[in-house]
Amino acid sequence: MDNEARARRWLAVAVAAAAMTVAVAACGNSGGVGGSSGAAQAAAGSGQTVTLNYWTWFPAQSTLQKSIDAFEKANPTIKINLREFTNTSYQTELPLALGGGQALDIVGVQVAAMTNSVRKDLRPVSDWAADLPSNWQSQINPSMLSQAQKISQDNKLYDIPMGSIGSAFLYSNQALLAKAGITAEPTTSGQLAADVAKIKQAEPGVTPVTFSGESWWQDEVFFTVADQIDTKLSDELYTGKIAWNSPKMVQALTAYQKLFSSGTLSTGTLSLKEADADEAFNSGKAAFLLEGSWDSSVLSSAYRKANGIAVADVGASYFPVSAPGGSPAARTYAEGGLAIPKNSRHVAQAAKFIQFMTMTQQGESTWAPDLVLVPSLTGYTVPTSVLTSTAAQSGYATIQRTIDAGGSGRGEYPTNFTSDVLDNSLLQVARGQISPQAEAAKLQAAWASGRYPLQ
Amino acid sequence: MSSNTHMVRPGALLEAARPAGPSAEPSRRRSAAVRRLRRRALIPALIFLTPMLALYGVYYVYAFVFLGQTSRENVDLSFSGATAAGWRNFQLVLTDPLFWKSIENNLLFAAVQIVVALTLGFFLGVSLSSGVRFRRFFYIAFLLPSLVPLSLFATVFGQMIQTNGGALNQALHDVGLGALAQDWTGNPAAAYVAVFILLTYLIGLPIMYYTADLTTVNTSVLEAAQIDGASSGQMYRLILFPMLRGTHKTVILSVLLGSFRWFELIYFSTNGQPSGGTSIAGTYIYGQMFPSTGSAQIGYASAASVIVLLIAIAVSGVNILVQRRRG
Repeated sequence: MDNEARARRWLAVAVAAAAMTVAVAACGNSGGVGGSSGAAQAAAGSGQTVTLNYWTWFPAQSTLQKSIDAFEKANPTIKINLREFTNTSYQTELPLALGGGQALDIVGVQVAAMTNSVRKDLRPVSDWAADLPSNWQSQINPSMLSQAQKISQDNKLYDIPMGSIGSAFLYSNQALLAKAGITAEPTTSGQLAADVAKIKQAEPGVTPVTFSGESWWQDEVFFTVADQIDTKLSDELYTGKIAWNSPKMVQALTAYQKLFSSGTLSTGTLSLKEADADEAFNSGKAAFLLEGSWDSSVLSSAYRKANGIAVADVGASYFPVSAPGGSPAARTYAEGGLAIPKNSRHVAQAAKFIQFMTMTQQGESTWAPDLVLVPSLTGYTVPTSVLTSTAAQSGYATIQRTIDAGGSGRGEYPTNFTSDVLDNSLLQVARGQISPQAEAAKLQAAWASGRYPLQ
Repeated sequence: MSSNTHMVRPGALLEAARPAGPSAEPSRRRSAAVRRLRRRALIPALIFLTPMLALYGVYYVYAFVFLGQTSRENVDLSFSGATAAGWRNFQLVLTDPLFWKSIENNLLFAAVQIVVALTLGFFLGVSLSSGVRFRRFFYIAFLLPSLVPLSLFATVFGQMIQTNGGALNQALHDVGLGALAQDWTGNPAAAYVAVFILLTYLIGLPIMYYTADLTTVNTSVLEAAQIDGASSGQMYRLILFPMLRGTHKTVILSVLLGSFRWFELIYFSTNGQPSGGTSIAGTYIYGQMFPSTGSAQIGYASAASVIVLLIAIAVSGVNILVQRRRG
């Protein structure tokens, strides 16, 4: 009995301690560190070398080093100290570093995903525009510039985007298509279904269409289908102009489900991670790869050779139109923003580097041939030496054209509704575990619950 | 860990120094002496414990205050510009069916591993202690999954259960059992089975607990049972199982509390699929901290963490009370 009483007492104390921490903390400071107006600028004497601290996740370090080398050669008094991160860890590391007051001079910003989590610690472009050419705005794609500004909750421009990305697109292994007797990229889901049947027959060991089964990718594919019905359907859903259980939405869910129920896309592929899907395509085990435009590097023969990709020729197309009466579409958004933090003491030099990367042919030619972004520099064209086959040239032109057409905003509406509700639900729709009508009703109920406001 | 009668309970010597007596006066004097002895023993104990208590104290106080504060704020990963949220984060967590699903899964997975540990783990522990051949090899085989980093182990398992080309489905096809091949992360029931299989692999530590405590068992009891004609099954069930009651408690408590730390296990194997069906508290909180789309909700994740902490304390408290009552 003594033991029992003692155990009860300890339990009560532990619960009380946990509860007290919540209560005590509730009385504490709920504010945060306010943003400063910007660090004082370091005076650089003539001929004195300035080192800029540059953090980013993009482009690949080997590519970026070429850009830095070219910039340093042209500007001998400026050195760049680069730190490169992976995509996801960067989203965590940068806000913490900036919030902690780390002295960085140039930072890459994932325009849709990160602008609002770091803007408090960035200088608006208007603060350093004087260090850019007077006509700088005319050199950047206006739509990309507008997106980079619009995403910010205070409607200020904090970064200059290097380019734009979009999804979803269909990449193809030309050799496997030829073996199966396929002579053109599929433009409708019916044609893709026929191609899948031909590939299954001609190459039984080959996966006809591979793609990431990760939940985030499902909304990329779904919204591509939805925007084929109405190019702005995704925007309209997130801005509340149209209900999630509207007839258009049901039509989109039905078309999406049919892709799986018809066997065009396999539910078995839904257990793959993005890297596994890419690997299957790059090793010649899959005929089609469903990916974002950020994977366009595979169109470059030099890139394939440098990365050991065993596919001789790659083509690309927009995602086949899957709804009756639909037209090609892709959700797109500005990406690869370059910004200057408030803590930078070398703003003029940092602006010079950003200008080099985004507004000069020389800078552009160091990273744009990787084809990860459709560059924002007006009039920039990819050198013909990068795209060596007709399929690659035609494919990249299609991607560029689809992105330039401007669909709904990709990732423009930050809300956990997408990851908490929509993505998981779409997996159920794909697997036929729920009907499009029931799914649409469920989505509308969750959206209307008020749990998932736009952030 | 053991209920062995040869072991001395802490404080028993002091209690042994308290003989019963008819007279109240000598009894009071003895009680005072015992109290003095206890006080004298407390000082060196505190000297030894203080550095460790301080170390733990700093950690706990910091962690609890941090969680408590952020749980009542709207704040992102920069931890700047926070705004007060009151109790809204708690309200949102408590009304989220996915949160309760993850807690339910936590308890279910813990229950499954407890059952596996108390049956298969107990059986294997006793069998290996009885001197079977190649027992060192078996010990290594059973322990290895518990010794390698859980993230690595779960990643390999995650690859094995891929629907197309995964080793598990491939093996089933190869041995003519293709009909049993499953969409392991797509079918809710199959996903549970996959996690149960994964948990069964982690039987190494319970086996070690049983093995360690079996060395303290009084063998004369077993010899007597053998002479009385007890079968192997009766020895396991009626003699050894009750004798290792203390070990069962250790196993149950360690699995129960450990289940709240199986984040890597689920994240790298099923990643909570299908549609959050195998999500546990850890993956749920991580999903709110680092959502694939949208911003990190540190306040919401902190509120969920506080609730999970309280649930874990409650679960272990209930467990301790039940065990003591039975004891």
